[in-house]
Amino acid sequence: MVAEGAIRAGCRFFAGYPITPATGIFKAMIDALPARGGLALSAPDEISAIAECIGAAMRGYKAMTATSGPGWALMIESVQYALMTETPLVIALVQRLGPSTGGATQGAQGDLLLAEHATSGGYTIPMLAPSNARECADLTEIAFAWAERLRTPVVVLSDKEVGMTTERVDFTDGSSSPETYAVGTNGNNGTYYFNRPGDIPLFTAVGGATRVIATGSAHDKRGKLQKNSPETIDVLRHLEEKIRLRAHELEIVVEDIQPEARTLVISYGVTSRAASSAVRLARDSGLNVSHLSVKSLFPLPYAALDRALKGVESVIVPEENLTGQYRRIIAPYIGNRVLRGINKIGNMISPSEILRAIRVTP
Amino acid sequence: MNAPTPTQTRQRSYFVDNVQFPFCKGCGHTQVLRRLDEALSALNTPAEQIALVTDIGCIGLADGLFRDIHTVHTTHGRSTAFATGIGLADRVLAGKDLRVVVLIGDGGAMIGLQHLVHAAMLNVPMTVLICNNFVYGMTGGQGSGLTPERFITATTPDGNITPPADLCAILTGSNAQFVARTTTSDTNFPDIMRRAFASPGFAAVEILELCTEYAVPKNELTGKMLAGIAEQNGWALGVLRENASRAPFHVRYAEAVRTSATPKVREHGFSSAPHAHQLAGPVSIVLAGSAGERVQSSAAALCEAAIASGLYVTQKNDNPVTQGSGFSLSEVWISPEPIQYTGIERPDIVVAASEAGLRELTSRGTMASVSDDTVFVVDESLAVSMRTRKLLPLSLRKSLGPKDAALGGLLAACHEKNVLPDETLALIARYRMGDRAKVCEGMVFSV
Ligand code: SF4
Repeated sequence: MVAEGAIRAGCRFFAGYPITPATGIFKAMIDALPARGGLALSAPDEISAIAECIGAAMRGYKAMTATSGPGWALMIESVQYALMTETPLVIALVQRLGPSTGGATQGAQGDLLLAEHATSGGYTIPMLAPSNARECADLTEIAFAWAERLRTPVVVLSDKEVGMTTERVDFTDGSSSPETYAVGTNGNNGTYYFNRPGDIPLFTAVGGATRVIATGSAHDKRGKLQKNSPETIDVLRHLEEKIRLRAHELEIVVEDIQPEARTLVISYGVTSRAASSAVRLARDSGLNVSHLSVKSLFPLPYAALDRALKGVESVIVPEENLTGQYRRIIAPYIGNRVLRGINKIGNMISPSEILRAIRVTP
Repeated sequence: MNAPTPTQTRQRSYFVDNVQFPFCKGCGHTQVLRRLDEALSALNTPAEQIALVTDIGCIGLADGLFRDIHTVHTTHGRSTAFATGIGLADRVLAGKDLRVVVLIGDGGAMIGLQHLVHAAMLNVPMTVLICNNFVYGMTGGQGSGLTPERFITATTPDGNITPPADLCAILTGSNAQFVARTTTSDTNFPDIMRRAFASPGFAAVEILELCTEYAVPKNELTGKMLAGIAEQNGWALGVLRENASRAPFHVRYAEAVRTSATPKVREHGFSSAPHAHQLAGPVSIVLAGSAGERVQSSAAALCEAAIASGLYVTQKNDNPVTQGSGFSLSEVWISPEPIQYTGIERPDIVVAASEAGLRELTSRGTMASVSDDTVFVVDESLAVSMRTRKLLPLSLRKSLGPKDAALGGLLAACHEKNVLPDETLALIARYRMGDRAKVCEGMVFSV
């Protein structure tokens, strides 16, 4: 379904390396792209795969790769390169149990921080987390739109349980149509030209009539290598500013709010499913509880978080990792409310485990 | 390619005006770049149809010296991989013929060996110049994988004791279309460059050259000695491979796409539309059997029929890491409502179609989670004592054969639990089993 979303978004280039549980995306692209005038390539490793995708993206074509935790570890170098060169790219990261080779066929939500904090300098990598097959398609389509609009790599973070579960999908309710963003040229102003730091330079493809100077080294707005000049620092600030300033436009959440609720469950990915069931069970038994299912993990959906937190005294974040990775991200934003995690690895967190936490008022 | 059009004036140089090379005095990179500029100028390719992809290291400073051409300065060793993406997208997707040139040092070539090999194997049109000066210049003259034996570097102060790799042999072995090795003092250098650029596919030239800052002082080296170094290390000089008949990737790809069978859209194979369902609430199923006995595809057939009946389904499969042996298992939810949590804590239906399947059900705790209301279908050969009231031992393997045992058990359980109408279950049996469907229906609907 990630592949379905990519095709709908107009993805023309895919390079991949097999890794459970992301192999299905690779195979789907191999089957789908040639007939659609695209190219899906078997790369000899993940480093080659992502670099080839970035090359194709620089040449002006929508590109995607897919991997799991061990492959992501190899790709990080080039994710940074895409970020620095403002190259649009989508990476589907289908999580499995880590660390290291871990458990190939077990789900987990353990790569969130590794994925988000993949850059030296700690730049925001926009990240979308689907909970089901339909969202895999829709959010991947949105990921392409974000990647182009923001000129940056975007991660679709799913996991084995979301990616390898077959389920009924209904597209008859009208699917979103892909947004496309201006591909143009900054003319003689340079490859990375912007006026204010939050502006986004127009993308210019390598090989077109306008010259491109691309570089992963610190550079000025023209792409010229520079040390520490004020303009170079501006460019480095711009890489974060262009995303930070648009955070409010990039919020995708499902809000299931009860105004009188004192407890809020914040969930994402596969755990949103169990949380939905748990919230329903809790309400059936007469409890008030709100649920915020976050689809756009990064940039953090501040406004939605604020709305959901109104009147809430206790926040529960269920995650399939041991240390509460998203909980730690949210913690600074919840004031003096009680923050609790439900953390578990090896198996999905079940509705009854979340229900138990909802029942315990702190 | 890129034949000059009458209106074009001949390109004299692609360098910026009054080019100042940022390299140390006598550095071989200066000569390499001059030869590169001459070779490109001779081809008269319009500047916007050239992309120069540079690696890390002193040679990576080259992109700042050129005017008008596209330059992509990359990460260490990865230049060829980025160039592969640019080149493939240009040829396959854009149908253009961008001239892609890669500049890489001996350090980058060894870090990114995989990418060189891959580009050579695919035969992506590009010209890769490997500037081998035997040391990492930018970081202070450390040895690389292409440092000659006995060579003194910062990291081999007593002389290198490891024989260097033969990069050209590696690339020749990777089916590169054009491979050559030369030195900056070789009179054939310009001619080799010309031939490399004339190659329609992947062309690599390893150029032995001097790092005057680090390699020269410690090893009393001169340009004239480069050929001797090649000989001492068993590195052949000259054009080592020129395979004009090998088609580049985009040509072979276009042919493969053209002749490929039209992809089929898979539809369910039921002979008629399944009947409306009467299911009131969600049902969870665990189906276990042996690898190669169509366990997961049987579950999928049931799911397809359920979807066609208007129900929601989820299916998760499991098997050992080696997919062709041991158990095979599917976990299925079928529900009139959208399904959230896909885990199964108390299964409504369990089917064990083989010994391996039963063992897996025990080891993953499914047997312990069976309740009084669970419908439990087992092959009659398996010894099961369960507390469920609905234990159904059936002659699955004997009457239906191992390949249809799982489906038979599944249909029997679904009949017992009223998951789908018998007519729909019969459709699935006929679709999947052919002749044996009659036997199956007899057994299943008599349960
Ligand atoms: S350090 Fe060596 S390779 Fe670098 S510019 Fe100087 S001579 Fe050339």
